[in-house]
Amino acid sequence: MAAQELAAHEKQPVEGQEKTRAGRYFRPDVDIYETDDGLHLRADMPGVKDQDVEVTLENGVLTIEGKVWVDAYKGLSPLYTEYNVGNYFRQFELNEALDESKISAKMKDGVLELELPKAEAAKPRRIEVKIG
Amino acid sequence: MALLRFGSDIGPAGVLLSLQEQLERFLRNPNFSLGLSAYGGFPPINVFSDNQGVLVIAEAPGLDAKSTNLSAQGRTLTISGERKSDEPKGDSGYHRRERSVGKFSRSIQLPEGLDLSKAEAKYEAGLLMVRVPKAEEHKPRQISIQTGGR
Repeated sequence: MAAQELAAHEKQPVEGQEKTRAGRYFRPDVDIYETDDGLHLRADMPGVKDQDVEVTLENGVLTIEGKVWVDAYKGLSPLYTEYNVGNYFRQFELNEALDESKISAKMKDGVLELELPKAEAAKPRRIEVKIG
Repeated sequence: MALLRFGSDIGPAGVLLSLQEQLERFLRNPNFSLGLSAYGGFPPINVFSDNQGVLVIAEAPGLDAKSTNLSAQGRTLTISGERKSDEPKGDSGYHRRERSVGKFSRSIQLPEGLDLSKAEAKYEAGLLMVRVPKAEEHKPRQISIQTGGR
């Protein structure tokens, strides 16, 4: 098969820290990339509706929490399952100087899109070197 | 057959716990025949039943619904498409790259007695949900009782 074939990837349960809400939590898969303007984060949280995500930044720790849409499974009897459901939780320590007032978050098709702009002072600046 | 309980008596935390237990019990249920395709592809799927028929739910976040294909042949349902990454523009570097991208295709064999020509699908919150109703002749039927005439 093609090299680009998507492989099965089981959701990873959150380990360690215990949450106040009962039940198992999953650790969303993330992509984080940096540009001159800031950090861009994408987190897979299938089964989380747009309004059920909470993102907080406190003391340099970014927390992502998503509540799973349980009602999607209401009144159904399982016949065969490959995945389990649960809320999502993940934290990151941020070392970059960010402009907290400009952080924006959006949910799209079960993916959290988080934009974390850098603080003005932390942006790279090109300094011209004069010749002669 | 176990029905997912959603009584007001157990509260939201209880609902999630009971759902997790139920899903765990049917994990890779060996009594359910998937057909030719084995466990282990993207997207992971759960198969449920209710009195209307069968509901297949696939966890597939970030798909473009327009370029995702669903097809049916006989009792086999096939989901295929491609998950793309939104490539960063300009000078950039990945700090983490855990989300997999690429093409996928999965087929599953559904139980008998369904009408795949009447299947309906929707995509919401990263879940692809395919509802397949029971075939007409397998639907429960009300039989009226004639009372003896005078």
